[in-house]
Amino acid sequence: MSGNDYPIYAEGLVRHFGNVKAVDGVDLQVEHGEVFGFLGPNGAGKSTTVRMLTTLLRPTAGIARVAGFDVMTQADDVRRSIGVALQDAAIDPLMTGSELLALQAVLYGIPKSKVKQRSDDLLERVGLTGAAGRRVGTYSGGMRRRLDLALSLIHQPTVLFLDEPTTGLDPMSRLALWEEVKRLNAEGTTVLLTTQYLEEADQLADRIAIIDHGHIVRQGVPRDLKAQVGAPTLVIEVPPDQVEAARAVLTRFGELRTTAEGTLGVGLTDGAEAVSAVVRALDEAHLRMQHLELNEPSLDDVFAEATGYRLEGEGSSNLPSAQGDDAPAEGEQPKSGRRRRRGRK
Amino acid sequence: MTTAMSPLGAAFDPAADHRVERHLWAQTVAMSKRSVIAIIRQPALVAPSLVFPLFFAALGSSSFSRATGLPGFPKVDSFLALSLAASVIQGVLFGSTNGGAALAVDIENGFFDRLLASPTSRVSILIGSLAGSALFGAVQALFFTVVMMIFGVHLYGGIVGLLVIVLAGALIGLSIGALLAAMALRTGSAEAVQGVFPLLFIMLFFSSAFFPRETMRGIYRTIANINPVSHLYEGMRDLVIDRLSAGAVARALLIPIAIGCVSIPIALSQLRRRLKAL
Repeated sequence: MSGNDYPIYAEGLVRHFGNVKAVDGVDLQVEHGEVFGFLGPNGAGKSTTVRMLTTLLRPTAGIARVAGFDVMTQADDVRRSIGVALQDAAIDPLMTGSELLALQAVLYGIPKSKVKQRSDDLLERVGLTGAAGRRVGTYSGGMRRRLDLALSLIHQPTVLFLDEPTTGLDPMSRLALWEEVKRLNAEGTTVLLTTQYLEEADQLADRIAIIDHGHIVRQGVPRDLKAQVGAPTLVIEVPPDQVEAARAVLTRFGELRTTAEGTLGVGLTDGAEAVSAVVRALDEAHLRMQHLELNEPSLDDVFAEATGYRLEGEGSSNLPSAQGDDAPAEGEQPKSGRRRRRGRK
Repeated sequence: MTTAMSPLGAAFDPAADHRVERHLWAQTVAMSKRSVIAIIRQPALVAPSLVFPLFFAALGSSSFSRATGLPGFPKVDSFLALSLAASVIQGVLFGSTNGGAALAVDIENGFFDRLLASPTSRVSILIGSLAGSALFGAVQALFFTVVMMIFGVHLYGGIVGLLVIVLAGALIGLSIGALLAAMALRTGSAEAVQGVFPLLFIMLFFSSAFFPRETMRGIYRTIANINPVSHLYEGMRDLVIDRLSAGAVARALLIPIAIGCVSIPIALSQLRRRLKAL
């Protein structure tokens, strides 16, 4: 397949902000009808990549084609074909939901005769019919995101970009949005979704790419990526003065893994059956276990394996900028304040 | 890639179904409508631009009513008649700041990105914002004229004079709005745009808007002579205190047009610069 055949295709995509390489050679091939998850912490390069793919930012180098059009030379064609719901999407709080949909329809050149029906259908679809006449300033965060989704669908795009669509939402609103994304995908829309939530990527994405410091470090089907991590992880907690001794015992059962601060983890080479042997070995060494848990490989393990960091528990972003949350200002290092090295081996 | 199944189930062909070629006019009207909505729905933001000029006019009228007898003062019915044009200019300068700041807020909070992500004409984004400023300028001019007529100001320029004042209000809104839009596009900061307002106010004070140039002396008079606001004010003032004349109409309209000839290209170049910097 050539780049033209993919709804989203990127090759060697690079974006520099001064001396900072926010995106450094990203390759993507998103298939038709796929939900593609772009996973990474704040500052990893997710939003910068999305902004390049949606024509909002010029690549420093590389090729990107969306819906068969080149993002640099056919930007308007790209814009007509895609729907975009950006992170921290600003929705004019003074306008009503209906007014915003009508404005969006005009911007996309939709004939006046079709605007009302299209708006009503979308409002119903996202459950905002009752709030259509209210100013957006009175909407909850979840309602705004749903309206944002409706706005991005006004022109019936074939490719949809959702940049951290559920960041900051309560669990119910998050679930509702997930359902809507699944429904859209079932109807044939190709979706590229960025997220820092592992569960979101696991739930929604057919394939994922993990991005860190502007590089894609893993790419594939979540199940396959988890299988590559291999053995389940046994996590134990011992008193601080027994950590070194416990570490020595654990190394006999497999490779030590990155886990949360204050705990030790080991990938059990012989699988879950080895747990009793580990417990016996720790007991024989007179080590006192304060906590024990067995975790099947998760996307967090995949992430930790690929980057040396754990993503789980990362909060939502509160550092918006003109280029998107992960774009550093010129001369600034990419933000990594929320990326914590949580584990130790 | 031009035809695909839409998310709503119907066949989607961007070219045929939506006729998505740029509808510059419709887009500009839609953006202007948004600017007007922002004005109407923020009375707290808009009220000062209507109230403060009236306050200054009332203050001047009560304090300097006897000054109209000074040598060099034009023949007027009252000081309030002199204040009408000054109130219009003052109010429109105030109002234009709001328009520029609104554009900066759009840039700050990402609404500008939403617009850029659509296939809309980039120029329509700017023109829409300026059209809102122009329309509000016209409404302000009409408002001040009507209020002052209620308080006894006689408009010697008649209905044509009124129309010229309203049109001048729109042109001032457009030209100064463009200057502030340029600032918004350059800085992307509402604070920076609002920071320009004192400079505009200084321009107003160093003009003949509050006292005729004939009563001034020294450097103050020199500045007022070269300040375009003086000539704009005098054109509008003459439409109030004198019979309609081509000179007054020309000054009331040509000066904001001249300012616009400079400020609109600056705003467009700042728009291009911002888009290029992406």
